[in-house]
Amino acid sequence: MENQKQYWRGLEELNTSPEFVSNSKNEFMEGLPLDEVLNENSSTFGLASNRRDFLKFFGFSIGAVALAACNKAPVKNAIPYVVKPENITPGVPLYYASTCGACSSGCGILVKTREGRPIKVDGNENTFNKGALCAQGQASVLSLYDNDRIKSPLMGTQSLEWKKLDTDIATQLKTIDGSKIRVVSGTINSPSTQRAIDTFIKAHKGAEHITYDAISSSAIIKANEESFGKAVVPSYDFGKAEVIVSFGADFLGTWISPVEYTKQWVENRKLNKKKTMSRHIQFESNLSITGSSADMRLPIKPSQQGLALANLYNRLADINGSSKLDVQQFELPLDAIKNTANELWAKKGACLVVSGSNDVDVQILVNGINTMLGNYGKTIDLDNHSNQRKGIDSNFDKLVEDMNSGAVEGVIFYNVNPAYNYHNIAKLSSGIKKLKLSVGTSYNMDETAKMVKYTAPDHHYLESWNDHEAKVGHYTLTQPTITRIFNTRQAQESLLIWAGWENADFYTFIQDTWKENFGSDNFVTFWNQTLHNGYYIKTAGEASAPSFKGTVKAETITASANTGGKGKLELMTYEKVSMGDGSQANNPWLQELPDPISKVSWDNYAVINKSTADGLNLTDGDNISVSTGHGKIESIPVLIQPGMVKDTVAIALGYGRIDANREAMKKESSGKNAFVFRTSRNGHTTCLSSDVKIAKVGTGYTLAQTQTHHTIEGRNMVKETTLDRWTADPLSGNKSMSHIVSLWDEKDYKGHRWAMAIDLNACTGCGSCVIACQAENNVAVVGREEVLKGREMHWMRIDRYYSFTDKNKKKSTKEKEIAKNVDDFENVTVAFQPVMCQHCTHASCETVCPVLATTHSSEGLNQMTYNRCIGTKYCANNCAYKVRRFNWFRYFDNDKFDFNLNNDLGRMVINPDVTVRSRGVMEKCSFCVQRIQSGKLSAKRENRALVDGDVKTACQQACPANAIVFGDRNDPNSEISKLFYNDREYSLMTDDEKESSKEYFNTLKASLKPEELSNVARSYALLEEINVKPSVKYQVKVRNRKDDSIKDELDLDIKLAKEAEIHHAREHAKHAAQDAEGHGKEEKHGH
Amino acid sequence: MKISFRLLLVLSAFALAPVFTTAQNVEEGKKLFEANCTSCHQVHSEVVGPALKDVDKRRDEAWIIKWVKNSQAVIKSEDPYAVALANKFNNSVMTSFGSLKDAEIKSILAYIKTAPVPAGPTAGGGGGTDSTDVNNGPSGGGNMNNSTMLMILLGLAFVLGLTSILLGRVAASLKGTLYTAQPELAPEEGPGFWDGTFWPWVSRWNKTVATISFMLCFVFLYCYWGFGYANTEIGVQKGYAPAQPINYSHKIHAGQYKIQCQYCHSTVEKSKQASIPSPSTCMNCHVAVQAKDKYAGKISPEIMKIYNAVGYNPETKKYDGPQKPIKWVRIHNLPDFAYFNHSQHVKVGKIACQKCHGDIQNMSVVYQKNTLQMGWCIECHRESKVDMANNKYYEKIHAKYKALGKKEVSVAENGGLDCSKCHY
Repeated sequence: MENQKQYWRGLEELNTSPEFVSNSKNEFMEGLPLDEVLNENSSTFGLASNRRDFLKFFGFSIGAVALAACNKAPVKNAIPYVVKPENITPGVPLYYASTCGACSSGCGILVKTREGRPIKVDGNENTFNKGALCAQGQASVLSLYDNDRIKSPLMGTQSLEWKKLDTDIATQLKTIDGSKIRVVSGTINSPSTQRAIDTFIKAHKGAEHITYDAISSSAIIKANEESFGKAVVPSYDFGKAEVIVSFGADFLGTWISPVEYTKQWVENRKLNKKKTMSRHIQFESNLSITGSSADMRLPIKPSQQGLALANLYNRLADINGSSKLDVQQFELPLDAIKNTANELWAKKGACLVVSGSNDVDVQILVNGINTMLGNYGKTIDLDNHSNQRKGIDSNFDKLVEDMNSGAVEGVIFYNVNPAYNYHNIAKLSSGIKKLKLSVGTSYNMDETAKMVKYTAPDHHYLESWNDHEAKVGHYTLTQPTITRIFNTRQAQESLLIWAGWENADFYTFIQDTWKENFGSDNFVTFWNQTLHNGYYIKTAGEASAPSFKGTVKAETITASANTGGKGKLELMTYEKVSMGDGSQANNPWLQELPDPISKVSWDNYAVINKSTADGLNLTDGDNISVSTGHGKIESIPVLIQPGMVKDTVAIALGYGRIDANREAMKKESSGKNAFVFRTSRNGHTTCLSSDVKIAKVGTGYTLAQTQTHHTIEGRNMVKETTLDRWTADPLSGNKSMSHIVSLWDEKDYKGHRWAMAIDLNACTGCGSCVIACQAENNVAVVGREEVLKGREMHWMRIDRYYSFTDKNKKKSTKEKEIAKNVDDFENVTVAFQPVMCQHCTHASCETVCPVLATTHSSEGLNQMTYNRCIGTKYCANNCAYKVRRFNWFRYFDNDKFDFNLNNDLGRMVINPDVTVRSRGVMEKCSFCVQRIQSGKLSAKRENRALVDGDVKTACQQACPANAIVFGDRNDPNSEISKLFYNDREYSLMTDDEKESSKEYFNTLKASLKPEELSNVARSYALLEEINVKPSVKYQVKVRNRKDDSIKDELDLDIKLAKEAEIHHAREHAKHAAQDAEGHGKEEKHGH
Repeated sequence: MKISFRLLLVLSAFALAPVFTTAQNVEEGKKLFEANCTSCHQVHSEVVGPALKDVDKRRDEAWIIKWVKNSQAVIKSEDPYAVALANKFNNSVMTSFGSLKDAEIKSILAYIKTAPVPAGPTAGGGGGTDSTDVNNGPSGGGNMNNSTMLMILLGLAFVLGLTSILLGRVAASLKGTLYTAQPELAPEEGPGFWDGTFWPWVSRWNKTVATISFMLCFVFLYCYWGFGYANTEIGVQKGYAPAQPINYSHKIHAGQYKIQCQYCHSTVEKSKQASIPSPSTCMNCHVAVQAKDKYAGKISPEIMKIYNAVGYNPETKKYDGPQKPIKWVRIHNLPDFAYFNHSQHVKVGKIACQKCHGDIQNMSVVYQKNTLQMGWCIECHRESKVDMANNKYYEKIHAKYKALGKKEVSVAENGGLDCSKCHY
C-alpha cells in the first residue's frame, strides 16, 4: 500500500553501501573511543593507559571538581547607561528598517537589535521580498562581527591615520590626469551613492565610473538594448506566469533576485485557496533548486542551451507562422521542446521564458520568444525595470587593458573584489601594479585589498547610511543599527573627501538627494516616515509592450552548439545558494550550511554524472585536476551527483578564498576558486569550455556531506502526487496509516496548542530557514571534521530525496532495476523536506529520559531543559525523526572551534533570550519557545487575546516560499488549525471527547471553505504508523505533470487506498470491541 | 425647642460634613500624593521642591491649582512669588500635571494638611549612609576579616593543642619516673573505663559487620549533610549584601520619601529587566538635592559620585565632564539558563516588589532576601492564583475553567510548572 516510488538520499543509500548500512544502525556515527583510551596497547591517543591510570585520572578529576566547586561565586557587575537612550529599553528588542547589503538585490529588512547590537535580520513585509530573506541575507549579520575585518585604513598592510590617507590620495590624484582615473564599483542602485560617485567624477574631469559585477547579467542588458533600446534588466513576474520555462536560470536560488522571484513563483504553486498551479519546466545542466522544484526537468548540456532555445523559437514560429531561424534540428526525449512550445502557446501572454546564460545572442533569442508569446507588458516589465544588476563585463575588460597599457593610472575599487573573481587575475594584477594610484574600500582583508596601495575600509552595511532603488520607484533606506565597530569610514564619504569636500556627511548628502528627488516641502515628516518604514514605493506605471527589433544570429548559436559535441566533456560554473559569489566566504554559518542539492558543507567540488564518472573511472572521494584553455585547478574532489547532465563537469563559484579566510576556516575548507575557468566571450564573461581535461590526481578525500546523516532508513517520509490525481481525489498520495488505538491517555490542552505545518509543494530547499534558526537559537558551528562525524548542530535540516521519473512506465523499486536504468541518473526528481523536532504528543524521547530533562508542556511543546540534561543521549536513540543534537564540546569556548563563538566580537551575535548550550547536553528545535513566550507576554501586557500571527517561528518568518505555517491549533480561527482539521479523528473520538471538542470542530468546519478542504486533505504526519502524534504536519507535494502513462496504476492506487481505509476502520472497530472485553490479541494486527 | 433641635441637627450635619469629606479626600489625596509628588516633594522637608507643609497658608487654593497644572505658565506671567520660588530651587522645572482635576489637587492639599510628621529622622538628602545602617543588613559572605580571623584562630588552636599534648607527655614521663622511683605511690592497676565497660561490648561484635555498618552510617550522614549543604548553600546567595560603589539607601528613597519603585526602575513593567536606573535619572532630583545640611555646607560625597558619573559640575551647573559609568554589584543573580521576566510578574501578575525582594523600603543596604532557588519559584507558582477575570488574554481559557466549575486556577495548573516557561 505504500507509495511505489522509491526515495533515496544519496547513491550510498541507493546502493546500500556497507558504510551507509553500518552508520545507519547507530544513532551516532562515531561512538566514544573508550576502548582505545582504556586499552593498554592502544597508541591512537598516545595514552597507553591502564586501570591504574584510569583510577588516577578518576581520582584527580574528582579532586579537581571538588576543588573547583569550592570557588566563590564570582562578583557580577551591572552597569547601566550613564544617560539611557530614549528608545532603548534593556531587555526589549528594538527594530530598525533597513536594506540588506548581502548582494545587489536590495531586499528590505528589519534589523533586530538588543541593547544596541544587531542580532538578527529579517525581511520587511512591505518591500518586494515580502518579509522573507535568503540564507545569505540572514547570515549577513554575522559578517558584521567578523574579527578579520580591516580595522583601520591601510597603506599596503601598514595601518595609518585617515588624515594621512586622505592627503596622500588627494596629492596623488592631483598628479594624475582626470581622464586616467576610474571608479570601479559593483551594481549601484543607490541614487545617493551614484551622486557621490558622480561628484567625484566631476571633481576629476574625464574620470569614468565602471560597473563590475562578479556574476553579471551583462548579456541580458545588452540584449535588451539591442532588442528594445533599453539597456536594463527587466522586472519579471513569475506569479502571473502560468507556464514558466527556464533555461539554466536558477531563479529560486541564485539568479538576480531569488527571494522576490520565489515569493512570486509560490503564489501560483500554493494550493491553499485554489486548485490550479503554474507549470514549471526547467532545462538545465546541473541540478539546481529551481530544477528540483520544477514540474518537468530536462537535462541539457551547457553548449546546447542556445540550440534548444533556437528550436523552441522555431517551433513557436511554426505555430505563429513567422519566419524561422536557420539552425540545426534539435529535440530532447519525450519531444520536450515541441511540447514546451505547445504549452507556452496555450498560455500566450501569461507565460515566461528566462535564461541564465550570459550570451547576448541567447538572450536576444529569449527576448524574441517572449515577444512572440506576447509576454512583454504582462509578465515582463521593461519600464518598471530592475536595477539589481547593472554591470557590463566588457567595460571592465577594457579597463584592465587600459591599466596595462597605461591609459588609466588611478583606480578606486569601491567594494569590489576583482582580484578574486575576475577571470584573468594575472592580467589584472599586472595592471594594478602599473597603476600610480590604486585604492580599495574593501571591508575585509580580501584579495583586492592585498593588491592595492591604499585601503580605505568601508563600514559594514549595518553600520552605514544609504538608499536604494532596487527597482524603478521602489526606494528603500539603509540606516546604521550599531556604531561603527572598527576605525572604518563610509566609502561614499571617502569619495566625497577625495572629491575635495571638507565636511562630507553622507547622511545629509542622502537627505539632499531625496529633497532633490521628492521635493523639500514637508520633507522632515516624509523623511522620518520613510526612515521608520524603511521604504517608499511610488505607484508603478503601466508596463508597455515594446516592439522587438533585435536580430538573432543563428550562426553564432550554431557555432557555440558545435563547440560541445556528443561525448565531449564540458565545464560549467554555478553559484551555490549558500556562498553566492563568495563575498561572504568568511562567514562560518554559510560555509557550514549544507548545499541544498549535494548536502555538502565547507567545500566545493567537481560535480559529475554517474555514468560519465564511470567512464572516466572516477568515484566519490577521488581528487582530480581540471584544466581548460583558460584556467586550471590542481586538485578538487569529485562528487557524483544524480541529476547532473552527462559529459559535463560543474564547479561552484565563491570558494577557494583561502587567503581571505580566517585560520580556523582555512583548516576546514579546501574549496577551490572556479572563477579561473571563466572567460570573456563576445564581451560577456561566461564559462563555456569545450577543451576540458580531467586527470585523477589523488583519492580518499571525503566531503562533509550530510545527505545520509539522520537517515530514516527508507521509510516513507515524502509523499507526493500529481495535480491531476489530486484534483480527482484530494487524498491521493496521502494514504493515512494512523492507528487509532493508543497506549497513552490523551492529554487535554486547555490553553494553546502549538503546531506547525510544512507545505512540501512550496519548499524549494533554499536553506534560509536553517540559517534563520541558527541565528535565532545560537546554534553552534562545528566545522568540517565534526560534520564528517555526523555531529552538525543545525536544529533544522532539509532532507533532499531523489526518485526516478517514470520514464519507462515502470517504477524502479528494486536495486537491480535501478542498476539497469543507470541512464536515469540524469533524470531524477527531487523532493525537499525540512525536518525539525516534531514535538510529538506522545514523544518517545520523553519516556526514556532518566532525569526528566525532556518533558511535555501544557501547550504541546516537547521541552528540552538543558540544565537538567546529563547527556545520556537515550532521547536521541529513541527519536524516530533523528532531530536531537548532542553537544560533544563546549563550542563557544574551545579553540578548536574558532568560528564565531570563540571571540568576544563574534559572540555579539548571540540572542540573549536563548541559552548557549554547554558541553554534554542534548538540544533540539524548541518551536522558538522564546518567541512564543514573548508573544504571549505582549498580549497579556496589552490586555488582549493572542491573535494568529502574533507568534512566528524564525524559520517561518524567513521562508521565501511561505512553506511554513505555525500557530495555535486550539484556536479554530488560526490557519494552522485548518491544516490539522481531520474528519476521521473526530469521528473516532469517544462520546465524551466529542462533547468537549464539539464547539471547536464545528467552528473549524464552518470556517473551512470547500477548496480549502482539499488542501487540508494533503496534510500528513511523518511516520504516522508509530503513532507518536507529531505536532508537525506536512502537506503532500503536488507536481503539475501530465503522466497519462500511469493512469491505470493511479486508479488502482485510489481504489486500493479506499479499500484499505475501510478495512482499517473495520479492524479498529473490532479491535476496540476486543479491548473493551479484555486485552485483545494485538500481535495479530500488524499494519 | 423642636425647631432649635432640628437646627442643631442641621448644624451638626454641616459641621460633620467637612469631616467626612475630608476623611475621604485625605485617603485619595494620599494616594495621589504618593503617585505623583513624592519623587520631588515631602510634606515636612525640602527635597527637590519645597516642603509642602502649610502650603495652603502660603498661597491660596486657586494659585496652587494653577501652579500644579502648569507652573511654567505661572512663572512666565511674572508672578513675583513664583519667580522667587523658581530662583530658590535653581530653576528646576516642576512637571505639569494638566491631567489632575481640581478636586484631586484639593484632596492632595487636604492630605498635606493632615499628613503626620514621620517617625524616623527627618533629615533631607540622600546618601550618607552611616555605619550602623550598613551593619543592619545581614552580613554577606566573602568578608575578608572573618576568614583571616578564622585562620588566626585555627593556627592558635593548633599551637595550643600541640602545647597541651607536649605538656601531657611531659607530665606522663615525669609520673613514670616518679612511679619507678617510688612504686608505692603508683595507683592501683585495674581495668580502666574503656577496658572494663566498653571493650566487652565491642569484642562481641562481628568485625566486618561493625566496619560496614560504621562506614554506612558515616556515608549516610555525610550524604545527608552533603545533600543539605548542596541544597541550601552551593550557589545560593541568600543574604548577599555586597558593598556598592555608591552607598545608596533604599530606606531613604523608598522608605522615607516614599518614591515609587517604578520611578527609578522604570522598565519593570515593560521588560524582563527592572533595570538599574542610569545616573541621569538620579540627576532629576539630585541636581537640586545635595544634602548640604548634613555635610557642613558641602555636597554629600555620595551625591558627588553621581555628578562624577554624569560629568556634572555643580559649580558651573554644566554637564561638561567626561562620563564614567557606575559599576554596580549585581545582587540578584539568576543562572544563564533560567529566564525571568519582571514585566510578567509585576505588570501581568501584579506582584509587589517586596514579595521577592523583601522589605526593600527598610533596607539601607540591599541584600538578597530569598534563596532564588527553583523550589522557591515553584512554591509560589503553586500557591498563586491567576487573575483570569481581569485580563482579556485569558478570556477563552477562563471560560473553559468556568465551564468545569473551577473558580480559581493556580499558576501551576495553568502551565506555570512547565520547564520551558523558564528554561530555553
